[in-house]
Amino acid sequence: MQTGLEACCDLKVVLANRQLPRGGWPFKHRSVQAALEPTCLALLALSSDESPARDRAIRFMLDTQNPNGSWPAFVSDGPEGSGLSGLALFVLDRCGIKGEVADRGFRWLLNLRGWESHWLWRWKFKTSDRHVRFDPDKFGWPWVPETVSWVVPTAYSLLALNSSLETSPSDLLRFRIRRGVEMIYDRICPRGGWNAGNGVVYGEPLSPHLDTTAVALLALRDDPTNGFVTASLDWLQQRAQSCFAPWSLAWAILALDAYGRLTHPLHARLVQTSDPGEIKDNATLAVVCMALDCAHGRNIFKVVT
Amino acid sequence: MKLDRRTFLSGSVGLAAGAATTGLLLKPKYQVVRRRPRSRVAILNADSYSERLEQILWQGLGLFRLDVRGKSVLLKPNLVDYIPGNHINTHPLLVAAAAECFRRLGAKSVTIGEGPGHQRDTELVLFESGFADQLHGQKLAFVDLNRDELVKTKLLAAYTEMGHLWLPRTILESDFIVSMPKVKTHHWSGVTLSMKNMFGVVPGARYGWPKNILHWKGITESVLDVCATVPVHFVIADGIIAMEGNGPLNGTPRPLNRIVLADDPVAADATCARLMGLAPQGIPHIHAGSQFLGNLSIARIDQLAQPVQCPGTPFQLVPEFEYLHSYSEAEFLLGDEGRPAD
Repeated sequence: MQTGLEACCDLKVVLANRQLPRGGWPFKHRSVQAALEPTCLALLALSSDESPARDRAIRFMLDTQNPNGSWPAFVSDGPEGSGLSGLALFVLDRCGIKGEVADRGFRWLLNLRGWESHWLWRWKFKTSDRHVRFDPDKFGWPWVPETVSWVVPTAYSLLALNSSLETSPSDLLRFRIRRGVEMIYDRICPRGGWNAGNGVVYGEPLSPHLDTTAVALLALRDDPTNGFVTASLDWLQQRAQSCFAPWSLAWAILALDAYGRLTHPLHARLVQTSDPGEIKDNATLAVVCMALDCAHGRNIFKVVT
Repeated sequence: MKLDRRTFLSGSVGLAAGAATTGLLLKPKYQVVRRRPRSRVAILNADSYSERLEQILWQGLGLFRLDVRGKSVLLKPNLVDYIPGNHINTHPLLVAAAAECFRRLGAKSVTIGEGPGHQRDTELVLFESGFADQLHGQKLAFVDLNRDELVKTKLLAAYTEMGHLWLPRTILESDFIVSMPKVKTHHWSGVTLSMKNMFGVVPGARYGWPKNILHWKGITESVLDVCATVPVHFVIADGIIAMEGNGPLNGTPRPLNRIVLADDPVAADATCARLMGLAPQGIPHIHAGSQFLGNLSIARIDQLAQPVQCPGTPFQLVPEFEYLHSYSEAEFLLGDEGRPAD
């Protein structure tokens, strides 16, 4: 049986081989349409390697930035920007890219808000539309401009903003981080963990999702550990024990490892379920590579720049 | 009154402007009419999820004399998430039975495609809902529509005024699309059936999880734009165990023991609504869809197999949609055609 290290090396070779000539990665193996999320995750997975694939990927990221500072969800998409732009900024920061590209990106990110922050929608959600339980004063980032905040884009944006806090602090930056963190806590499911957005709809609690919970926990790492975080970690650890899907399992490992929780049994299962030829989705392949790296003391989300 | 040239000209301009404005307001918002003079719907009895479904479905499909020989068939089930004990997804045995039937009918290929609305890990939903075993056992191809290659597509209706959507290549290149909804109530749209099921073709990789932009643009408007642009050629609705109350996730299972087949999504949804004891013309997207996407009135539907029978107790709804219980019998069956003349 392969060791985790061997499996990780094999997977990284496969991942690098699936890079498109211009430097991006598509979601689906054999597609030629580069997309932002698989490219960011692949670059994160390969960020510690000094390889031509890494350099091409960075060049791709720089070339595809929109004039307004955001990134499109995939090549040839429109210029309005994707809620995944926070992930792009986090990845570039991890690769040591600073300067005008990052500055423009952060300016765009700081100005993008979930629409529940608009006074009209705040009023609507506080008075007439009470079926979704959330506090519109606590807002983060949307998937698409001009829609409301959701957990994953908010968590990706917080990862990016937290990474820039040391080098370029500002009142607006601190304000957006604070509001984003509050939004994440506000949307938590009643027993811990996170669904896509609200934890309660029409009076019924929603079930948390493994991947969303993991990404939210990674974004909250700079916040003091509290009961919400502990409950969510407990839920994640418990739920991951019965998970065989590589994407969710890998995200769970990354978050649990970042908080110092035991991940060894999960690693063993991930190695078993991660046949390189079977994982056709490049975003999944990249997250699996990062999760397997954790077993060797390398968790990209723990690195302090 | 003397009509001078100046008054005449300014009056003419005013009339022309008024006529143009009225014309714009009255102009239909759809650029395609899929409604045919008559539609066919078959209601099949099925009391459980079992291997017998293939035989039941095969006999039901035989009533339609479908010609799918040499065509690429795309089955679009409703896979929302996995919640143990909740009947929220189209059952995998029904989807597997449908796939086998279309193979037997000579389809060039049968693919299953879905882009779950909330759950980003589609593979997890497949594993835990039992779909992965069916796919593997029958060597069926599955495409995660949330992460498929995308093509910019002009919308063939303008209810949302979005103009275009990025849609999955797999959908656009399929010859024959079968919407396979779970029969459920829905707290935002009243019901979720074959038309609402098509939200799943809108890709999360572009529009997020959930596809929140469709809610902001209006659920009714978005359903109409998507269904105008992506034709639903056939419907196989899973009403064996349906859902009532606070659907689509947290409702209560409700045995209906029916599968509904149709060659028209509006007729399919109208029939499912009637089987739920709900008036279809009170559901905005079904009512508006009857203008151009299909037939709502029972007078325009050829009923095959079992007759439409309303349940003794209608499906429970959230309070906002309880009005769907209070239509007259004529309106209930005929839609606007059953409404008394003013």
